[in-house]
Amino acid sequence: MNNGNGNKIANKFVVPIGPQHPALKEPEHFEFTVDGETVIDATARLGYAHRGIEKTAESRTFVQTLYMMERVCGICSHVHATAFSLCVEKLAEVEAPPRAQAIRVLVAELERIHSHLLWLGVGAHEAGFDALFMYSWRDREVVMDILEALTGNRVNYSANVLGGVKCDVTDAIRDQILTGIDYLEERTHHYYDVVTTDAAFLQRTRGVGTMTKEQAMRLGVVGPTARGSGVEQDLRVDAPYAAYDIFRVNRVVEQGGDLEARFIVRVKELFESYRIIREVLDNLPEGELTARMPRRIKEGEAITRVEAPRGELFYYVRSNGTDMPDRVKVRTPTIPNMASVLHLAIGHQLADVPMILAGIDPCFSCNDRSVRLKSAGGDDVWTWEKLRKYGIDYYND
Amino acid sequence: MSLEERITEARARLEPLVESIEQPAPDRIDATIPADKLLDVASALIKDGWSYLTTITGLDLGVEAGEMAFLYHFSAGALLVTLRVHVPRSEPIIPSVCGIIPTATLYERELMEMFGVTITGTPNTERLFLPEDWPAGVYPLRKDFDPSQPEIVVQKDAAE
Repeated sequence: MNNGNGNKIANKFVVPIGPQHPALKEPEHFEFTVDGETVIDATARLGYAHRGIEKTAESRTFVQTLYMMERVCGICSHVHATAFSLCVEKLAEVEAPPRAQAIRVLVAELERIHSHLLWLGVGAHEAGFDALFMYSWRDREVVMDILEALTGNRVNYSANVLGGVKCDVTDAIRDQILTGIDYLEERTHHYYDVVTTDAAFLQRTRGVGTMTKEQAMRLGVVGPTARGSGVEQDLRVDAPYAAYDIFRVNRVVEQGGDLEARFIVRVKELFESYRIIREVLDNLPEGELTARMPRRIKEGEAITRVEAPRGELFYYVRSNGTDMPDRVKVRTPTIPNMASVLHLAIGHQLADVPMILAGIDPCFSCNDRSVRLKSAGGDDVWTWEKLRKYGIDYYND
Repeated sequence: MSLEERITEARARLEPLVESIEQPAPDRIDATIPADKLLDVASALIKDGWSYLTTITGLDLGVEAGEMAFLYHFSAGALLVTLRVHVPRSEPIIPSVCGIIPTATLYERELMEMFGVTITGTPNTERLFLPEDWPAGVYPLRKDFDPSQPEIVVQKDAAE
């Protein structure tokens, strides 16, 4: 990419976006090269929230690392802890009891509901549909309350311990979950109608950011982003972990490949999560919650892949026989999906960029985002709010 | 495709190109290959969209072993195929796979800044995660990195 005075090449301009913006788990910096309104090149700079977690893990015990890994992501913390626990359990040759595995699935699906509802709201907000944003976030509180009742925390639930889980399902919590799920299922039918029939909303999603199945496979995208392009990939189905071999998931795949398809996949996955949660509660195995874990973990390496709300989450753990991991490698689903944004944005209007970014469901934090638009007439600083409004106004005119 | 069929297919794709294939876990296949064979073997694995590159794990095996290892993980349904490339720690050089897997650029940029490996032919050598003012020649994921002694850099306002 160009820098300094090299920004202006004929009629092409580089539009830097970020790093302070709320659209992503990590604040990120993008540079979109535009020719008029059309994006012709895109590049990213990550790392503004790099905390050195992989290195830190090398000087923490396995137990300490578990709680640290839960903090990689504030939205999908449970899958991180699950993936790490499964790796360490493989290395120690210990298997968590069936009841613990079922509760892991239960919390994972509750987490998926909260994550997908959160994303639905943010996606709607970026499209200028704030009523949908407020309704979906209001409803999300139902599942947050359930998570708090079950685990004690709204976020970073720490449901996992090495060798099992630490929270149990009592009759009172069971009733609360079932009541909440019934309410959410009814609401989700409404959301499904909205995202598939609302003309103003479809204008922002149908045919936008289209990715063919071939592109999706070549770019290696994962999760709902891949399934929206017809890629049959869901690790809960392909390689069942925890108790997904007992509580079978039906894969949700759409062929559209555009933003609309990604909305439909995620909303349909909500129905699937409701069904799995009911099934887990009806068939919860009796027994212990934890298996005994050694403090020192046998030498070796283990790899686990789990299906986070955003797609394949990869964990590699290597032990050297002590009580501390020798190496922990994490690959979150946003990274390959982010790579797809850089390809998909090309050829689109700048006004579509917020929606394409939101479409992969990057983790959202709550900071403001600033966009700096460099033009021949000098620098003009745009806030994320201004770019969002620009996108909405662009389509209103 | 079942896991057994995946394993058969992976072996069929790997056997003409690699010397030994290991199976460290029921759902994993590992092959250790020299760096100059990486592109050929990776091409065979991703051919016709059979698998995709999940990520590249870098390992510093320590000063005593004098080696680094780079693990290319390919996902194919339930199966995970790992290509292991070992290079000397004193002169770590691996070829870029971006020519056949364009999205690998993000993983390669991470390896370069974290391990100080030279990746020949990679399209972008800019830093991805580390700050611009991170001292040159300091690679945090190497085992001899001393986290208590990073060079202290005074952050200056960019406008000055």
